[in-house]
Formats: sequence, C-alpha cells, structure tokens
Amino acid sequence: MHFVVCIKQVPDTAEVKIDPETNTLVRAGVESMANPYDITAMEEALRLKEKYGARVTAISMGPPQADSVLRQALSMGADDAVLLSDRAFAGADTLATSYTLSKAIETLGNVEPVDLVLCGKQAVDGDTAQTGPGIATRLGFTQFTYVIEVERIDPDKRRLQVRRKVEGGFEVISGALPALLSVELELAAPRRASLPMLIDSLRTPVKTWDAKAIGASSALVGIKGSPTWVKAIASPQVHRAGPRWDAAEGVSAAVSAALDALFSDEEFAAGFVKGWKA
Amino acid sequence: MAKNTRGIEVAEIIPDKCIACQICIGECPVGAIELNAAGVAEIDPEVCVGCGKCFDSCPVNAVRFEKKKRRKIAEEKPAEPGAQPPSHRGVAVFIEIVDGRGAPVSWELAGKARELAQQLDAKVLGFVLGSNVGDVAEEAIFYGCDEIHVMDDPLLARYLSATFGKALSDLCAEVRPEILLVGATPLGRDLAGVVATRLETGLTADCTGLFIEKETGLLLMTRPTFGGNIMATIFCQRQRPQMSSVRPRVFAMPKRDAERKGTVSRHKFEPPAVELPEIVKFIPTGAEAGIDIVRYPALVVAGRGACDPSSLSLLEELAELVGGVVACSRPVVQAGLLPYERQVGQTGRTVAPRLYIGVGVSGAVQHLVAIQGADKIVAINSDPNAPIFRVADAGIVGNYQQVVPELIAQLRNKKS
Repeated sequence: MHFVVCIKQVPDTAEVKIDPETNTLVRAGVESMANPYDITAMEEALRLKEKYGARVTAISMGPPQADSVLRQALSMGADDAVLLSDRAFAGADTLATSYTLSKAIETLGNVEPVDLVLCGKQAVDGDTAQTGPGIATRLGFTQFTYVIEVERIDPDKRRLQVRRKVEGGFEVISGALPALLSVELELAAPRRASLPMLIDSLRTPVKTWDAKAIGASSALVGIKGSPTWVKAIASPQVHRAGPRWDAAEGVSAAVSAALDALFSDEEFAAGFVKGWKA
Repeated sequence: MAKNTRGIEVAEIIPDKCIACQICIGECPVGAIELNAAGVAEIDPEVCVGCGKCFDSCPVNAVRFEKKKRRKIAEEKPAEPGAQPPSHRGVAVFIEIVDGRGAPVSWELAGKARELAQQLDAKVLGFVLGSNVGDVAEEAIFYGCDEIHVMDDPLLARYLSATFGKALSDLCAEVRPEILLVGATPLGRDLAGVVATRLETGLTADCTGLFIEKETGLLLMTRPTFGGNIMATIFCQRQRPQMSSVRPRVFAMPKRDAERKGTVSRHKFEPPAVELPEIVKFIPTGAEAGIDIVRYPALVVAGRGACDPSSLSLLEELAELVGGVVACSRPVVQAGLLPYERQVGQTGRTVAPRLYIGVGVSGAVQHLVAIQGADKIVAINSDPNAPIFRVADAGIVGNYQQVVPELIAQLRNKKS
C-alpha cells in the first residue's frame, strides 16, 4: 500500500502579535514548526506501515525552508518526501491549497497508486479544518474527519474502519479505500527520531516539485486560484473596556467597587442571587 | 525612487515593514507582486506599471511609492458596485439537525442572515437536509427564514460527507444563493469544506463578524488568524456563494416568532454515484466523560497567571459560589493542569455564560473572541496592561491569591 501524509509548516503562533504602536507584525523570535496535528498523522501512518506494510510519502507545500518539516518526517521514518514549492503557490487559500496538494497526490499515484492520505484535523495557524475535506473531495476519496483510532484496514477487500469523534460521542464507520483521514491529536503520540534514523534520514533527499511537475494549472494555484482575499488586518477591536481598580490601594475596596459596578445591573444581580434560575 | 528599464517609476516593498498579508498581490492589476522566499512581498520592477494600487491598499505602509508619478493604466474595470451575478440571490443558512431538531447555531445564523438579507434586500433561505424533517422546516421559518428548501430522503437520515456534501452542493446550484452560512460544528466543518470544493468557491472558517460592504454588496468576514492574535477581514469577490462558517454562541439567538410565515419547497435528492461508507455504530459520550463548560451559567477561568495546582481549590470554591465551574485558557491545558475539555478559546470552546471571571488570563485574541458572547466579564490580573482588561466590565489589578478570597467573602455577603 501507499500512504501519503500532508504536513504544513506553521509559525509558533502563540507568539505572533501586532505591535500596537506601528501596526506591524512582530516577527522577532517567531520560530516555525511542523503542525502538531500533521505530525500525529505521520505517526499513525508509520504505525499502520508497521502493521500492514506500506510505503509512506510525506508532502508539504511551502517556501524552500519548509523542507525542515519534511526532514522531520524522514527522521521519523517516512520513505520519501516531496516539497511543493513554487512562487506561483504563494498566497493560496484553502481551495487553492487543496487543489495543489491533490494534484501532487495524483502525481505520486501515477507512479504508485495511493491508498490512504493522512493529514491533521486542522493547522494550528489557521484552524480552518478545510484542507482535508477539500483534498478528499477533489480526489474522490472516502472522507473520514476527526479520526481517533484506525480500527483496521483490509487491503484485500479494500476497506478501512475507523473511530471518529462526532457531536455527542464517537462513530465507528467503515468505507472503501482509497480514503483520506484527518486526525485528532489523541490518535497517536508522535515518536522521537533515534540518532541512527536521524543520520539515515539525511541521506534521503527531499524532492522539490513546482506547478509544472504536478501538472497544476497556474490559474488554480496560489493567489490566482484563491477565491478569498484578505481585505484588511487589524488588532482586535475593544469591546467594552470597563472600569478597573487597583488592589494595591486596598484589596477590599477594589473588590467592592468592582462588584458595585457589576451589580448595578439589576437583572444581573437578581440572576446571581437566584443562582441564575429564571 | 527606482525606475525600471521602461522608465516607469515603480513601487517598492520595504521588507522590514511587510507583514505578508498578500493584499497587494491581490490588488496588483498586472501580477507583478509575489511572496519571496523570505516570506515578504516583492515587486518585479519590469512588470510593475506604476499604478500605485499596492501603495493604496497596504495596511502597514510597507510600499514606497511616489504618488505624483502615479500612472493611470488601462485595465479591466474591477467589479461594479453590486455587480455580483444577479442570478445569485438570497442569504442561505444550512440548518443542522441534532436529534431531530434544529441545532441552536443554525437559529443564531438565521438571525444573522436576516440582518444581512435586509441590507441586501434579499430573502433568508433555509436549507434543510434529512429524513422526515417537516417540523424543522417550520421551526426555521419561526427563527427568521423566508424560504425553506428541503431534501427529505431516508439516505439523509444520518450524516455522511458524501451524501450531505452532494445534497447541499446540488441545492446551491439549483437555488443559487449569494451567501451560504454554516455552523462551525464538527459536522458543519466537515460539510463546508466539501461543498466549497465542489462549488469551487471561497469559504472562510470560524468567522466572528459578518457585514455587508455598502458600496459593493460583498460579504465581509472577520476572523482571528495567526493563532488568533490578529483579526483578518476576508472577502470573496467573484465566486458564489460566499461561504462562511461560524461557531456556536458567537451570534445572538433570535426571538422565535410562531406567527412568521414562509414557504417550503421540496427538492429531490440524487445520491452520489459512489460506494457509501457504512456507520457501524454510534457510541454516545457518557455523562461521566466530563464536564461540558458551555452548559454552565458562570465560569471561573484560570489563565497562565493562575496556573498553579495549589490554587485550584480556591478557584473551585469561587466557581461553586457563583453557580459555575472552573475552565481555563490554553496555557493551563498545555501545562497539564486541566483537561482540554475545559479550554476556552478558538481552539477550545466558545462560551457565552452570564458571568465570566478570568483569573490570571492575559487575554490573547483567540481567547477573547471565544468569550465575546459573555454577559458580564470580570478580569483579575496582576498586569495592568493585560489585554483582557480591554474587554472586561469590571477589572481588578492585583495578585489573585489576595483578590479571590476577598471576592469570595464579598460575594457570600451579597448572596445571603
């Protein structure tokens, strides 16, 4: 079997902020990393490989420096890695991204048919969770999102059974291969690369493919292929900015003043006293 | 100013200022701008025609350009005001069904859709997919829909990406709404990505604000991005419908009006010509599985500044007193103090309690957008510059270990 894992390089977003003085993005010290959900998908692909036997290819779309996430995939045990990098890919929204990735998966499939695509439920920088369903739809693969367990694969009958999270519980669902799984973090704890594997991975080159290599139409990739555009960015607006009191000038007085402000709303005060029962 | 070989005074990007928002790339009429390997925009001087559009559109003044040298260029006119294809009309809402009833988020969206439809002088369309869903269709009218479009088929009794994806895409192709709103529930997020791809249109996830731009009639969608520290306004110029997903409890629940009238039309469901997956079983999450923080009328939320196991009992005491439960921000989950199910934020839960008390929560945007539906917000933080104070109804600057016991004492008095 052939598994493809999609990995996105993301900024360590907790630290990205707008400087309120200059209204510019503060970049200093922002590191990039592999999207944790995608690394979970990589781990699961390797476990399935160990169980059922398969070839695992990692792919990523991004600038040349995104090859570091593919290096990580190789060090974990991926057999092959392809970086999709082309200036024309820049500015892609999820529609253009899913197009580009699906073209790459098709290209891989021309050499060795792809049975399973694994990707993270979402990327931590955008949180959209749209790219996985987009790829599955374009490729016509069976789509299973929010997967927490791959129960079994039957390579002969070409079937797969997974457990996935749904509203109010879990669902056990089976469907035909080829399929795409978008995975939750609890699916598998990623392994750490051993030193020999790390050294070994350095011998495997990361291939780089551009739009031409995957037969992608220039009208459908990058900003040109993206229906959504950014109009403006801003620090979030202030919603209420109520008064505040400093406990340094007396804890009791500060608490009392704050509560007075809160309880001046009679409906709210009544709700509190009644324990929020109407 | 730099000139190119044709003698045109071209615009230049100041790399240190560029934030890679790519607005200029979209604005440039000749495609002269691309993101370079360093992740900043770069203008190809030989392609640049010196029109200055990038200069006008840059939100951070990262374009160097001499306005006086601006060259008028013959270009195709951008979209005329209100020039969306007139064949696309109406603001549609996907009505999600949970246990045979409409999901609350769908009614919240119907309320928002009414607002948008009024500005567009259009109708609110409710798209209902399922099996035996007549009651839901009627409810949708009571919550603000004018026209209900139903696909009622036994194959739609349970959700599958393949069946619902095709059904909703087919409805859109037939009814042609200009806007489609979907609740960002697990089901809605699974579905929206499929439908947007099938229709090859733009989809903006987890919007926290939706507006109609007066001049153009376009839907402007704001959402937190870069992990929630920055708000981006997104639009979809050409493709229709303009799709947006919105989390539960972001918009207010509209009043139900059992007198409202509307129409219901039925559409035939054509199943997709693929082998459908089979749902083997559904395992409901037991009550013991954990606490659902969104059900509580009050939340005491521990942040990074109160991420201390020894303080947990103090916060629990406060929570019990105000009739709520302890929740937390992302760093507290990352530290392993509380489980993920207690996390408030864009990657956790969106909440709308009567009372929110943030203890040591600094207020990253991804957290703030998830609490904007709260009735009253109280912030306790030792840092007077913590962003959470900007959204609080009442703030107390100080050490929470002193403030919280005092708060408990005074609240006890109020209750007795």
